[in-house]
Amino acid sequence: MRSPAPVRTFGGLKLSFAESPWLHIGWRNLGRNRKRTVLTALGLAVGFFAVVFIVGWSQGIMVEMVENATSLVNGQIEIHAADYRPERSLYDTIGGRAGTDVDALLRTIDADPSVVAAAPRVYAGGLISTGQATLAGMFMGIDPERELTLSRFLDPLVEGRMPEPGRNELLIGEEMARQLSARLDDELVVVASGADGSMANDLFTLVGVFRTGLAELDGSFAVMPLGDLQTLLVLAPSRIHEIAVATTDPWIAETTAAGLDDVLSSSDRAIEIVPWTTLNPAMVDYVALGEAMYFLIIIVVFSIAIFGVANTMVMATYERRREFAVMLALGATPRAVGTVVLHEAVALGVVSLVLGAVMTFPLMVWFHTAPPDMSWAIGDVTIMGALLSPSLRVEYDVPFWIVSAMALFVTTILASLLPAWRAARVPPADTLSGL
Amino acid sequence: MTPTRPRLLHVRIIVVLAMRNLRRQMRRTMLTAAVMVIGGALLVFSFAVSDGSHEDWIDSGIRTSTGHLTIEQPDFRLSRKIEDRLATDVRWETERALASPEIAQHVVAVSSRLSISALASSAAGARPAQVLAVDPVAEARFSTLDDQVVEGRYLEPDDRLAAYIGVGLAASLELRLGSRLVVQAQGTDQEIAAQLLRVVGIFRSGVPEVDQTVVHIPLQTAGEWLGSAHDVTNVGVVLRDSTAVAVVAAHLEHALVDPIERGDARVMGWREANPALAAAIAIDSFGNYLIFGILFIIIAFGIVNTVLMSVLHRHREFGVLQALGLTPGQTGTIVLVEGLTLTAVSGFIGVTLGLLATWYFIGDGLDMSALMGEDMTFSGVVIDPVMVPQFRLVRIVQILTFILFIGAVASIYPALRAAKIDVAESMKFER
Repeated sequence: MRSPAPVRTFGGLKLSFAESPWLHIGWRNLGRNRKRTVLTALGLAVGFFAVVFIVGWSQGIMVEMVENATSLVNGQIEIHAADYRPERSLYDTIGGRAGTDVDALLRTIDADPSVVAAAPRVYAGGLISTGQATLAGMFMGIDPERELTLSRFLDPLVEGRMPEPGRNELLIGEEMARQLSARLDDELVVVASGADGSMANDLFTLVGVFRTGLAELDGSFAVMPLGDLQTLLVLAPSRIHEIAVATTDPWIAETTAAGLDDVLSSSDRAIEIVPWTTLNPAMVDYVALGEAMYFLIIIVVFSIAIFGVANTMVMATYERRREFAVMLALGATPRAVGTVVLHEAVALGVVSLVLGAVMTFPLMVWFHTAPPDMSWAIGDVTIMGALLSPSLRVEYDVPFWIVSAMALFVTTILASLLPAWRAARVPPADTLSGL
Repeated sequence: MTPTRPRLLHVRIIVVLAMRNLRRQMRRTMLTAAVMVIGGALLVFSFAVSDGSHEDWIDSGIRTSTGHLTIEQPDFRLSRKIEDRLATDVRWETERALASPEIAQHVVAVSSRLSISALASSAAGARPAQVLAVDPVAEARFSTLDDQVVEGRYLEPDDRLAAYIGVGLAASLELRLGSRLVVQAQGTDQEIAAQLLRVVGIFRSGVPEVDQTVVHIPLQTAGEWLGSAHDVTNVGVVLRDSTAVAVVAAHLEHALVDPIERGDARVMGWREANPALAAAIAIDSFGNYLIFGILFIIIAFGIVNTVLMSVLHRHREFGVLQALGLTPGQTGTIVLVEGLTLTAVSGFIGVTLGLLATWYFIGDGLDMSALMGEDMTFSGVVIDPVMVPQFRLVRIVQILTFILFIGAVASIYPALRAAKIDVAESMKFER
């Protein structure tokens, strides 16, 4: 009589296989040789750490570079008369010789929801002298209140206070102060050619010193209230050269600029609205180059790691030839045996990822919130004119972490393909008979 | 029989055993070796490229500033005042010292120049400018600016009242060839002096700060304008190679010992004179060291793994060896030799491959312009997208030492394991 029992048992075996014991077996295999597992996983974990950390650091540099390029002195968007660039001539004020209603213009710009701050500016070149020493400089007329909401270089000042309008007070850069040997409350002679062609000069009181870290600026810029500079240059109060605009995020500057263009170009003024991406295309390229490099880093790091994993998996499967032979003899398909090895790789990936995360994230949090200051070792550098402090600040980038984690799994799976294929093709009879 | 023979025999046995083990596990050996080969090749090639581009940055950075070495009056660097200039006799003394044979062999170009801050103005407006009064012939050899002419020509020896300006300044002041501009600056008598100049040439360096501010004029014109005669603010020196800076600086300090002691002169290397450039190079190198440090940690894990596995597999073998009379130290040495041979051979192959890649690119360079564009500047230096690798023997020695070090460190733990085997225990069971 035929009993259905063995079939059922076999069916039961099949059933339990169908519930996927593979991951379980794979996991147990990792535990059999803990030292090997930990060493391999450490290799992968260091790889994960390297990728996440290096990219975080490089993004930290990019963010600081763009931030300094767009909010230290300049805004993210500059608004000029259409023919102001590139000459930046004294006469090319917004609205031409007649000027414009500055307050109305600022109100319109402020109304845009993505605009954080907007500030009017007047520029002129001239000489600045203490009597003993004379330097050529660039004069920048500002609205002190509005300027403080836009740029960072006047807050905090190295010493002194902000100038008050109507009292002929000015600020100069630290380097200029040193070269002129000027102290607070000194009277400085300011010479410039006025818009009417006259040679204008006047006495200003030095009330403060600022520092940007950019040598050209600290050595040549003098900042004074807009009205005082306009008086010196014989410009009407309605004539300004630039409105600098700050947006909530540097990367929306182009959209905001286009939006402002729609609102402002309806009037009769011939103006040009330029986002920083147009003023400094090389920096945009540089950021794009950095992003291309991130993936190169992933590929290089993990393709080095793949050899370590492959080596381990080959060894692990070779040792367990008999085990695979037994499985095959008991009726497991070659595919199932291959799957065991692949699952082992996935389990190894999980272990590595946990190790990697434990290694990486505390450091990331530390380097993000309190980056070690490297200024004792190296000085400031500039990239495309933007100041960069030598800190090791890292940025968080969750999508990139996910990509790196996936790359880690792809690495382990790729590395286990050959061992899995070999395991599946173990000849059961020969192996079990000890050949 | 000399006492060295048994020891030599031991060495031979150890080496033979180690080699045999590597050969027995060919696949494992090859996989581990492959990582090392790739790592070594990458290391050599990328350091050659970064050494080459750093040399290039230094060269273009120092040629647009004060040279590999600069001799100036000690206070000038900070004050930037014309009062703190080099007196004519110090200038002649410096130039004589530079012409002496032991220094001249390293020197490519020397330029004595007067550098002052001035206001440049035209009918269109006024801009701060950095006026560099030069000897046209010497400066043409020193600087790269004369080759970057876009209109007109560079200064010539007979020029008077001529100005060579950047495209940025030309645009700001609406100047064309032949246009007139006025420069005003403080003279040696502390009075503001003005000088009329005519534009003879316009250049484009690619560095916005330079194109906006730098004006070259003949030194003689400046001497008459500011009353400084033949005095200069610095003597700049371009050397054949940035590695010669320390040697030449020492020679110069020796030759100029009198003016230096009087406080009339000072010799300064480019690192001190151009800290932003030195920082840019330091940061770039730091990034390289970081990436390769991490890469080799990963490689080291691979080697530890391979060697350790082969030790654990050969438990019985080591047991037998020790039973036959090898000391634990010798057993450990076998493992160490195995690991070291593996890293040395694969590292050597990797370095050779890296050198081949370097050699291939050494003529035309590696053109990265598709990736980075032409206008990248780093601390005021235009980054040339064509990177020409540079071969340095010191680097290769450093890299080989580093690779062997990694191999040795990675083999220590497995070697200790092999040495500590319990002989009886390891041979007790049949497998």
